[in-house]
Amino acid sequence: MKLFALAAVSIASLMAASSAAWAQTELRIAHQAGTESAKVMDEVVADFEKLHPDISIKQLVFSSADYENTGLVTQLQSSTPPDIYFQWAGYPVERDVKTGTAFDLTGAMATDGWKETFQPGLWTAGSGTTVDGHIYLVPTSVGVDVTLWYNTKLFKKLNLDTPKTWADLMTDVKAIAASGVTPIVIGNKEQWPLGNWISQIASRLVPPADYEAAFNQDGPFKIPGFQHAFQLLKDLHDAGAFNIDMATLDQDQGMATFFQSAAAIDPIGWWLVRPKDQISDPDFDYAQFNTPIIDDTTSNKDNVSGSGEGFIVNAHSEHKDAAIAFLKFMTSAENQAKWIAATGQSSPVIAANVGANLDPHVAEIATLMNTASSLTAPPDTSYPLPVARTFYQAAAYVASGDKSPDDALDWLDATLKSMGKQTN
Amino acid sequence: MRRKSPERRTGLVGSGAVNVLFAAPALLLFGTFVLWPLGASVSFALTNWDGYNVPHWIGFDNFTRAFRDLSYLWSYAHVTIYVLATLLFEVTFGLFAALLMNSSKPGYSLFRTLFFSPVVLSWTAAGLLWTFVLDYRTGLVNATLRALGLGSLAHPWLSDPVTALIALSLVSGWKYSGFYMIIFFAAIRRIPQDVYEAATIDGASTWQQVISITVPLIRSNALVCVLFAVTGGYSAFDLFFTMTNGQPNGATDVPVTWILKQGIAQNQIGYGAALTLILVVIIAGIAAIYSRSTDRLRVTQY
Amino acid sequence: MKIFEWVRFGTAGGIALLMSFPTVWMFYSAFKSNKEIFTSPFKLPYSWSFASFVNAWQQGNLGTLYLNSLIVTVTAVAMAVLFGTSAAFAFVRLEFPGRQLMYRILLVGLALPPAAIAISLFVQLRDMHMLDTLWALILPNAAWSLSLTVFLMRGYFDSLGADAEEAARIDGANTFQVLFMISIPMVWPAMLTVTIISVIGIWNELLFALLFVAEPDKRTLPAGLIRFFGQHTTDYSLIFAALSILSFPVLALYFIMQKRVMTGLTGAMA
Repeated sequence: MKLFALAAVSIASLMAASSAAWAQTELRIAHQAGTESAKVMDEVVADFEKLHPDISIKQLVFSSADYENTGLVTQLQSSTPPDIYFQWAGYPVERDVKTGTAFDLTGAMATDGWKETFQPGLWTAGSGTTVDGHIYLVPTSVGVDVTLWYNTKLFKKLNLDTPKTWADLMTDVKAIAASGVTPIVIGNKEQWPLGNWISQIASRLVPPADYEAAFNQDGPFKIPGFQHAFQLLKDLHDAGAFNIDMATLDQDQGMATFFQSAAAIDPIGWWLVRPKDQISDPDFDYAQFNTPIIDDTTSNKDNVSGSGEGFIVNAHSEHKDAAIAFLKFMTSAENQAKWIAATGQSSPVIAANVGANLDPHVAEIATLMNTASSLTAPPDTSYPLPVARTFYQAAAYVASGDKSPDDALDWLDATLKSMGKQTN
Repeated sequence: MRRKSPERRTGLVGSGAVNVLFAAPALLLFGTFVLWPLGASVSFALTNWDGYNVPHWIGFDNFTRAFRDLSYLWSYAHVTIYVLATLLFEVTFGLFAALLMNSSKPGYSLFRTLFFSPVVLSWTAAGLLWTFVLDYRTGLVNATLRALGLGSLAHPWLSDPVTALIALSLVSGWKYSGFYMIIFFAAIRRIPQDVYEAATIDGASTWQQVISITVPLIRSNALVCVLFAVTGGYSAFDLFFTMTNGQPNGATDVPVTWILKQGIAQNQIGYGAALTLILVVIIAGIAAIYSRSTDRLRVTQY
Repeated sequence: MKIFEWVRFGTAGGIALLMSFPTVWMFYSAFKSNKEIFTSPFKLPYSWSFASFVNAWQQGNLGTLYLNSLIVTVTAVAMAVLFGTSAAFAFVRLEFPGRQLMYRILLVGLALPPAAIAISLFVQLRDMHMLDTLWALILPNAAWSLSLTVFLMRGYFDSLGADAEEAARIDGANTFQVLFMISIPMVWPAMLTVTIISVIGIWNELLFALLFVAEPDKRTLPAGLIRFFGQHTTDYSLIFAALSILSFPVLALYFIMQKRVMTGLTGAMA
């Protein structure tokens, strides 16, 4: 009986503590963050609370896999949903609009010229911030999702140039493999790292209309463009390019392998960049090159894989004005400059990028983004999730040698057919 | 069940409908959080609900889709292999350990305690620990092999479809064989000494005694253990989720990990519910068939 | 026969050591630095440092996770054991309409995996506005522990015989008094065993903990650790420290109570 009483008291005090903020407006912000972005967020939040003593902010921070799988869903369905939450641009925003958790920010954006502080390209139809012309996502970062980071020292030692064409890449890969180092490491446990890359490759080889049709389940995947893309994967596998434990390494371990010089190349996004003091080897040096040109004749032969992320105001929030005020504060030029300095992402806010002291690697990929002739977004942000995930699985089969390219595409088409059309 | 002597009937302390109140809290709790969701599962399974929008009735479509879902069907193959492996690594090994450590001599009690200790850990802790030990590049197993000059044997244990499932089964055996060891140990202890003494007088060797006395007399316990291992094995989740979550390429997906991927991670509540119901029916079916066919074998007579 | 005895002792000892070594290794490796774990994995630490434990505690917010696990486990186990014993008492010692049926229904939970209803339970908890609260873990865990609790307690009641209770009845005690003053004091050994088994199960429970509670400050240890692992996959010293912290209480409980745990489990399976 004593135990029970103790438990009851503990629960009661916990509940009391959590409602202690009833005197103020409490804003709940759910988001996923790495160590660096978490620090900046804490700073921004603290500054905002100083300026607005009547608002207190509660952050709910997750790791990215957690957030995507159950974190956000559970938060939104709970009885204390967040007022502001992080979301990836594209399909997720559309879905949130449909389920009614995204608040229309067109009006807020029009006041005080907020909208104009952002790069104009962000409001175009394909950028995933708008649905039917209305703005729902406040973009806080746009980044490259796949680029080939490489160990410059290793390349120099083996006398390799950064490849301009796919054939060059294959030569480089074979040379690296011969030297005993793993050429390409991918931490593919969640399957999207390889998935993002193969999607970029495919987007260059498949006519846009067919690409769109396939992912919307209006057309097959087994078409020449995808076959070519998967064949390239197979070539890499056959040349011994991939780390043998690709399927069970997660992306952090993959990046760690890269930073420990146990692999020469890691095809992943902007989040690989980290401050020098976090890299255990002080002499480590790295740079990146975009996926080399495969087919010289297509218009998007050198497209860049990139997408945006940002924050949505919950349509059910009771503190929308406070939420909007916070987002305006967060996207001010000074705060975005802080963001850039700490995380190494470039900002969608125009003024923030001016004179920013960017890590050279960040500057590299910012330039890559800004000078890209065309952009492609990873399918798991622009198309129904089950379809994208199945596509990623098919690619994983080919990369590990489990299935031939044609078999994998047959499997893909058959599986999608038995899944039925995914509700959009 | 220990046989009750005929005169001792279960005494009734009271009768009357009001007595249901004593069972009421348990029944209420159970009904709300076990039975009700089970019933709800049935209704969800007949819709294409994604958890957000309005559900639409689609009849048995989810079920027909389930039977076309190769990954789902394969997950049953994987889990069956796992169950068979646990019968070896957990139940049989536990029996062997019980026979081996069945001694009142000093030290054996400590051995039994140590043998049982992994059972108490959480599957998460065990899974994370062994994931490190089996890592290809930096894990303990491969590092030791390389240090011993056997580097060619170093293997990506968890990335190879074949070895992954075996590795998981071995970890499971490490974790849980202590549980079965204890059960068999107690069963062995309950066998009266005079049975053995009579056999020794008759000239039977220790080994013969083990085969013809010990093993048959713990048969009913063994049957319960097998049932437990089988039903528990089919609903395995924690270890699989923590260590590989289906990788490499679905080779270690078991029904529950696949169900969660489809149902929660991909927002297909209706489909997930259907898959779950099929699993429940299968487990219940196995349990029922097993119970029925081993009913006669259950009675123990010394 | 002497040789046989020594072989037996050696084999038994060897197996016992092998089985317990990974856990022991995990514990003492946590005292090493990450580098040391890689360079000399098997040796005892060069210097016993608590740094990883401190870091793990702080970075993983283990204090909060611990408290959550404690609250969930204590409350759920208390409910399961209390309600379960009361129900077992009712099924064995009392007569009321439908008692056999109700008992059979409760046993359904023994064969049913919790995963079976995880998804619908998620939706149900949402509609009950309990998602992301500790109650979302306490109540389902208690409910699922009921099957085993009732099963074991009923067996124990059965094997004891009702003499003492019948005597109390004759002396004029009402049913309630019989339960609390006679029965419970008699069956408390089994209750203790059931408590320990339930504690181990609920403390380590992962599935519900992952699905029903997402807010990092409200998570229990196993779920929180998975997230922690995701963020620090290459710092083994840190991970081992966190795992040691997670496992230590249950292991300690086990070693202190091991006789009881083992006799209880075996008595239950009789």
